[in-house]
This record gives sequence, C-alpha cells and structure tokens, in this order.
Amino acid sequence: MPIDIPMDNWPGSVKTVTLGATSDQGGTRSSTVTIGGDQSLPFMHFEKPTANRPVIAMEIAPARPAEWSPVLLETWSEVVDDPGAWANACEEAGADLIVLQFGLKGAGDEPIAADLATSAVKTVLGATGLPLVVLGPGQAEIDNAILVPIADETKGERLVLGLCEDGNYRTIVASAMANDHLVLGRTPMDVNLAKQLNILMTDMGLPLDRIVMDPTTGALGYGIEYGYSVMERLRLAALQGDAMTQLPMMVNPGFETWKTKESKVGEGVPEAWGEWTERGVNWETLTAVSLIEAGANVVVLRHPDSLKRVRAAIDDLMAFETV
Amino acid sequence: MSRYIATRAIRGANALVNEAEAMLARALDEKGPDTPVAFPNTAYYLPVIYGMTGREIEKLGELPEVLTQARNLLHPTPSQRHWTPYLGETLDSGMATLLTAETIEAIRYVYGMQPELLPGFELAGGTAFTSPDMNDAEGESANGHLNGAIDDIQLRSWGIQLVDGRMPGFAAIVGCAKSNEAAVQIVRELQRRNILCFLSGNINGRSIIHQLDEEGVELGYDTYTVPFGTDTLSAIYALGFATRSALTFGGLKGGQAREILTYNKDRVFAFVLALGEVDDLKYAAAAGAINFGFPVVADTVIPQILPTGVTTYEHVVSLPWNEIEGADDVEKAERLVQKCIEVRGVKVQVADVPVPVPYGSAFEGEVVRKADMRVEFGGRGSRCFEYLKMAKLDDLTDGKIEVVGPDFSEVDDQGTMDMGIVIEVAGRQMEQDFEPVLERQIHYFVNGASGIQHIGQRDIAWIRISSKAADAGFNLEDFGKILHARFHSDFGAIVDKVQVTIHTEPGQVEERLREARETYDFRNKRLEDLTDDAVDEFYSCTLCQSFAPNHVCIVSPERLGLCGAYNWLDCKASFNINPTGPNQPIKLGRKVDTDQGYWEGTNDYAKVGSHGVVEEVAMYSIMENPMTACGCFECIVMLIPEANGVMVVSREDTSMTPAGMTFSTLAGMAGGGIQTPGVMGVGKFYLISPKFISADGGFKRVVWMSSILKDTMAEELKAVAERAGDTELIDRIADERSVTTVEELLPWMEENNHPALTMDPIF
Repeated sequence: MPIDIPMDNWPGSVKTVTLGATSDQGGTRSSTVTIGGDQSLPFMHFEKPTANRPVIAMEIAPARPAEWSPVLLETWSEVVDDPGAWANACEEAGADLIVLQFGLKGAGDEPIAADLATSAVKTVLGATGLPLVVLGPGQAEIDNAILVPIADETKGERLVLGLCEDGNYRTIVASAMANDHLVLGRTPMDVNLAKQLNILMTDMGLPLDRIVMDPTTGALGYGIEYGYSVMERLRLAALQGDAMTQLPMMVNPGFETWKTKESKVGEGVPEAWGEWTERGVNWETLTAVSLIEAGANVVVLRHPDSLKRVRAAIDDLMAFETV
Repeated sequence: MSRYIATRAIRGANALVNEAEAMLARALDEKGPDTPVAFPNTAYYLPVIYGMTGREIEKLGELPEVLTQARNLLHPTPSQRHWTPYLGETLDSGMATLLTAETIEAIRYVYGMQPELLPGFELAGGTAFTSPDMNDAEGESANGHLNGAIDDIQLRSWGIQLVDGRMPGFAAIVGCAKSNEAAVQIVRELQRRNILCFLSGNINGRSIIHQLDEEGVELGYDTYTVPFGTDTLSAIYALGFATRSALTFGGLKGGQAREILTYNKDRVFAFVLALGEVDDLKYAAAAGAINFGFPVVADTVIPQILPTGVTTYEHVVSLPWNEIEGADDVEKAERLVQKCIEVRGVKVQVADVPVPVPYGSAFEGEVVRKADMRVEFGGRGSRCFEYLKMAKLDDLTDGKIEVVGPDFSEVDDQGTMDMGIVIEVAGRQMEQDFEPVLERQIHYFVNGASGIQHIGQRDIAWIRISSKAADAGFNLEDFGKILHARFHSDFGAIVDKVQVTIHTEPGQVEERLREARETYDFRNKRLEDLTDDAVDEFYSCTLCQSFAPNHVCIVSPERLGLCGAYNWLDCKASFNINPTGPNQPIKLGRKVDTDQGYWEGTNDYAKVGSHGVVEEVAMYSIMENPMTACGCFECIVMLIPEANGVMVVSREDTSMTPAGMTFSTLAGMAGGGIQTPGVMGVGKFYLISPKFISADGGFKRVVWMSSILKDTMAEELKAVAERAGDTELIDRIADERSVTTVEELLPWMEENNHPALTMDPIF
C-alpha cells in the first residue's frame, strides 16, 4: 500500500551566513564556511534538501586551560600551550571552524590583557586557514576590552565575535560593523530574549546575515531538554516566518559536557560509569548530536574523538538526502 | 521656523559660497588642479562631502563640482512681504554651508593654514600627522597649533563609545563665553558628564579656546576637549566626525545622505552650544547642524525654534547667560549644560549607587531585627510615607537631595522618628500615569542597601536602618542618593531628572503627608475611572513564555496580569522603557463582542502571541475561550456545575476545595497556556473588577472562596458587594472553614440564600 508522507511546507527559512573571508574577499582564510539556509526541520530530506550541513567547530584557548578535564589536556598534549599549534591540530583532526575562547585570566594568573589577546588571535589566524570564532570570557566589560582591539586588528576577516549579550551588544556590534566581522549573540534559554537581542542588534544597522545566535543549552542530563526545546521553538518560529528568529544557531556542547562530573572526574566514581575517556566522549557526542537534531547549525566540541563521531553521525543523517 | 533665522542662515550660506569660489579659483591657479587635498589620517576623504554626496575628493581639481553642488542648494532669502515656505530652503542652505566649509578647510590644509597655528599652545594629545614637519622627534604632533580635523584612530575610539552609549554625546561649542570662569565651568560641567567637547569659533577675535588656554585648562584628545580652530568654519570637523561615526559604525556608505543624517539624529547625541553673538555664518552653520538632528542652544537672545521636526525636540533654544538663575558662574554653567542635555535628550548615566553600605539585589530580602536596629521610621511609633510626583523639567535640579529637619543622631538607639520621602521626577517621556508605577519601585530600590529594611508603600511605609549601616555612615541623604541613581539607571527612558526631599520636621511631615494623601486618593479614583472602554489599546505580556511558551497575558485596565504584578499602567510604562520588551501595545481595533470581550486586535494578538495555539480569547468569560495562564496566577477560578457558579482558590490556601482538588492539583489544569473552559488562573484584584467574568454573570457567580481572600481583601470585597446591591453578599459565599465538598456546598447556599441559585444556567 503506498503511504503518503505528510509534508510541511514552511513559509520561512533560516538566513544563510558565511563565516570567514578569503584573500579575494578581504581576509586571509583559505576557505569559508557557510551555515543556515534551512527550509524545514533538520534532516526532513523528503520536505526540502538540506541547504548546508551542520558544521563542527573545535574550541581552543589562548593558553593551557587549567580548568579543562585532564582527559582533554592529555589527549591534546603539548599543543594546548600554543594556540597556533592547537588550531593546527584541530584543522588536521577535521574541524570546520576554530573557536578561540578567552577566559578571565591570561597565560599566568594575570587578568587577560587586550594586546596579548590580540596577538593570540593573530597567532591562530597565522597557523590555520579555517574561519575563526573569537569569544570573550562572557563578562561584558572584559569582552569589550579585548574584542574591540581584536576586531580593529583583524579587519575584513569576517570573524564571529562574541558574546553579544544584553549588556554589551552595542559595543561589539559597532566594532563588528566597523571591521566587517560577524557577531554571536547569546541569551539564556529563552525564545523571547533571543528574539529581542536580535531585534536590538539589527536595529543598530547590522544585517541579519552577519548574526549567529547562541540560545544556550545544557549537557545531557543537565537541562538539555530545556535547551533543546528552546532551540526547536526558535527554529519553528523561523520556519513560520518570524524574521527575527531566522538566524543560524551555534551551541556549545563541548563546554557544557566537559564541566559535568561525569566527564570531569575520573576517580571515586561508580565502576558502572565505565571508562573515563569513553564516558566523556560519549557524553559530548550524544549531547552534540541531540542538539543538531534540535536545529544547531554549529556545534562546538572539545575532544577530537567526539569530532569523529559527530561527523559520522552527520554523514549518516545526510546519507538519506535524496532529490 | 523663524523667518529671521531663515533669512540670516540663507544670507550666510550665499556669502560663504561666494567666498569659497574665489578662494578655490585662486588655489587652482596657484597650486594646480592635481594638488592632493586631504584631511590628516582618514580613509574617508573629505568626510562630510563624501558622506553627503558620495564624492571621493582627492585633488583640488575635484572641488569645483562640490561648490557647484553647494551653489545649487542655495536659495534667495525669504520675502519680507509675503509668506513663503523656508524650512527646506534653510536646511538646504545649511547643507550648502557644510559642503563649502569643508571645501575651504581642505584648501587651507593645502596652504598649511590648517591646523590653525597658535604660538605657545600645547596640545594634550591630538591628531597624528603623516607629514613629518608637523610632528616632533617622537612622531608626536608638535606644539604651537590647534588640532584641526580628528583622525580615524581617535574616531574609532570615541565613535564606538558614542554608539554604545558609554559616552553620552558631544558638544560643539562655538564662540566665546561671557567670562573665562564661565568658559571653564561650562567645559567642566560637560566633562563631568563624560560629554565630549569640540571647540571652535570666536567673538571679535576671542575664542573659548583662548579663554580655556589662559585658565590653564589642558585641551586635546587626552582631556576630551578638542580645540578645532578659532574660527566658525573649523566647527565643520565636528560634523566630519559625526559623518564618519555613521559610516564606520552604522554600516553606511558615502552618498547615503539621508541614512547618515537619520543615524546621527537617532544615535549620536550631539548639540551645538553657541556662546556669544550669532552672526550670519553661525546661523548658516547651525542650519547645517540641524540637518544632523543636532539642536542649537545659544547663551544670547536669539529667536527660538521650539517645535519638533528635524531634531528630536526643539531646534533652536535661547538661554541668555544673564537671565540664567544661579548665584555664580558655576551654577549658571550647570543650568546651561542641563538645558543642552534636555534639548538633545542626552541620557545621563549613573554607574554606581553612592552609599556607604554594600548595595545590590542580594540584599533585598534582608530583615533588620529590633535588636540590630539603629532607628526606624513608620511602624507603630511614628509616621513614614513616600510620595513620588512628576514636575516640570525646568523646576527640578537633577541630583539635588535635601534633608528638611533633623537627622537621626538625636534619636535613641532603637528609637523611632517621622519621615517623609518626597521624590520629584521630570522627563520628556514621563506621564502622570507613571507616578504610581515608579513610586512602587521605592520599595525595591531602598531594600537593595545592606542593613536597610523597607516594608509597605505610600503612607504605610516602614523603614529600618540597622546599627551596622548607621555605623558605616548611612544617613538620611543616602535614601535620596539611592533613589536618584536607581531611577536614572532603571527608568532612564522616561526619567531625565530626579530630585529628592527628605522631611523629618514633624510639622512638615504632616503637611506633606496631607498633600500625598490627596494624591493617593486621586490615583485611586483615576484607577477606578480607567476602564476598558476608556482606552484604545491593551497590552500583551509575554514575560512567562520562557516556561509557558504559548501563553500570553492580555492586560487591560480592568483585568490585570494573572500574576498580580503587572497592571495596565505597569505594562504601558514598561513598553515606554523597553519598546522591544515583553509588553507590547495591542490596538483594539473593531469591537467584535463587548459583552464577552472580543476585539479584532485582541483576537489577532492571541493568535500570534500563542503561536497559533489560541484562536480567540474572551476577556470577560470563563466559559467561552477563557484567557490562558502560565502558572504564576494568584488565584484559580473554577466552575462548580452543580452550584451554577464558580469557586475561587487562593495560592495561599492549601486546604481541600469543593472541586475535590487542592490548589496545587488544580494549578496543573489551569496553567501551561492551554485554554480550558471553566478553569482560569487570575490575579486576585481581577476578582473585584466590574469586568470579572462579567459575561457569565459577574461576581455573584462566586459560591465559594478561600477565607484568606475574604480576610485580606475585606475592604475591597465589601465594595464589590455594595456595587452588586447586596451588602451581605460576601457572607453568602462559602469558604473552607464551612464547606469542603460539593455535597456540603449546595445546602450551604440554600441556607445562606446565595444569588447563583436563581441566576440563569451558567452553561
């Protein structure tokens, strides 16, 4: 018996955003990455072809990140002391994008300084040809202090600068506009707040195709349902035609999962939890793949094995792409 | 628009274009058309010309076409005999003046006449020059000259601060102050508010730059006061700066004149301060500035242009120096600067709450026990009230805090004294209706101080200061400081000035209290008069969509939000403060059914706001398309079919109800944004509204109600009973003390003669 598959025909679609710029386009990247363009819910291949595959970004730090799980530091070994080498290793591991995440502290115990931050960005840009996302520690004042000079010094690269939040979006948006960069807006798991921040940012004159949004999420077992639901609702609103939600989403399962006890702690835990590294990688992979199903266009990961597994999952999901 | 101003501006522009043409002809002759023209260190060519016309001027030979364009913008002066329109002509002339002024300055750069030389002058940081002869050995720009145009490096640093609001705006000061002291004070007042000062112009050869230099005020990038030049034309650099801000941070391109001007009007809070006599050229340049939305304030007698139009508020305001109230130049300068801020709508920022105790929302719930208390106001032993009222902008001095009467140093430990806090606020967007909304914030603001406890409101306020806070130096004036800082930071969108008076002298307290009570009464009546029929918009509230994604509250004057925290006025104020926030106006549009409470606007909104889940909402019915709820309702109203009425359960009531369920079980049915006929979550003050389920018979349908509501709302319910024409109505309603099942309810109703028994069937 033939079965009619009910199909949704959405009036709206997600904006297409291109990260990075090659030398022809005013930057120095060897290639660019295009995300978004979704015209239906993820992997509904029978409704609409997937415009752009979800991409995988790897997170690195400007200096050895003391608070990272020992599992990660061991895996990456000495490259974590050199952001350039680390970025290179990520590129070799198959990353599509690099996320350079600054913390509150620099290499020593000193507060992060703008000139050192800028030179770390230049080191990474010099070491890899992948497009780059640069994120401040998430404290408005410090984000502003380091991101403005970084934006000035890397004009034309189409970096993604973040975090734009309620308190500091004006500064970051203005410097992104002055230097041909993109921005990442983050709001705490709320559809209306996400939408409002997008309104405020575009109100400053920033075109929609230069904004990526991070609706925030939790790790598997730590609120992923909440984050999943918000992402799903944002995507549904986008497909229904609400222009201010039609932006690609980037979420950070690496950060979220590697701070959970399951991933971070190796000793004094029940044996049934299994081998430490395997557990952490599983946690990160499952979280990331779930979020991709919720509509994530970019997932940011930390472990190279997770990268392989998430890549395999995306390939699987895309294997059904038929025309 | 004043014809006088139009005449002089148009005349000034004509004269300037003539002068520039002669000057350019000579320059072309002497230097040749291929001579490069440029301002130092900028990628924006001659920025005003580039922004307004899109022309990328790089050579002298390209300037004649700019002057041709300027000439085409000129008009004859308005006729003295016949009225002809002249606003557009004046603005055109202003634009012609700007293009011409920039052309002249560009020629002067060619001749080395810009930046202007001023022997002996030392610049505290300024434009860096690529030409080595303008720099000293370290590559710094040499002394002995003014700054001229601002370079791109400084533009980036300041421009971003102007756009993101860290810097409130800039003042283009043109001319010469009445005295050196006045000049110093004006600049100090602007610097104190973090407003950038650009200096230019002169009166009979004396410029404010000379005045400040003589007084030893350092001028330059480092001190946020940039001396452009001692003539009027150098003021063009201010507009070059403004134009480049829009090009750099607004994503605009050269030639997008309209967008650049609008960007400046909306985002760059600049104004022109004209000191001393205003001549034709200054009028012409001022007309140019008005194109950017920058108003002009003069300290001399000139005709004013008060209507709003091209600028956000007034265009030209005259505030003659000798008529400004104030004991000395300091006070006069403060008033003048305050006026400039008002006219341009610059928002003042207060970063911290300047009190001697820690301050933050973490301290809001803090309790000060009697034993730890230094002094209390209100409660049993004394009177305490707080009263916020709106005043005219001109009548207030922002930040003025006055204590009238003794402080508490003479009061014994754990003693008590009278206090009245009177707050006066003024603002362009302030409305009388916002007074109670702002007044209610006092509770949160005062409570934020560590060691201070605030309870109640209006004339039942009760405030305690702990011994620890008093020892740390907290005094009465600090209440004023808290309120001033917080009203600016939280309500800056509607409040421009805040002045606080603390009364402790018993006679004064008495008198002010009487005035306050009259206003409280007036506000109560105003709320009574504020009916759904009297307004043409309701407000949405989507605050709770974070956890009830498809729920939307529609808040009307007679139906407050179900949480009880947001009434119609709150929503209106919230929308004014945060136009993209959770409270949006809903235009009612066509009435569909006023009994049930359907309007085209509310139905449309319900559909959009609920993402298509709710098709229609009846504002006044529980039976047909009732409003949905998130989960934070104060009460649940639920149909009791057997009783032909409804019961009302309070959130605070944990006992069993006639529906066979407790509040917490019922809450699951009422919440979640689902429309369930017969069940509704509401704010408790909706119970006493004449529109309370009015489509279903109104309050008389209430057959059972939690006793806590009867007790805490006794006064209000009494009024409802009177309105219903049955003073014993409340006693006829059962509660959990007498009835907990339907079986008990019906005989109780019979016994007490409840009106629902004889009403039409509810469904």
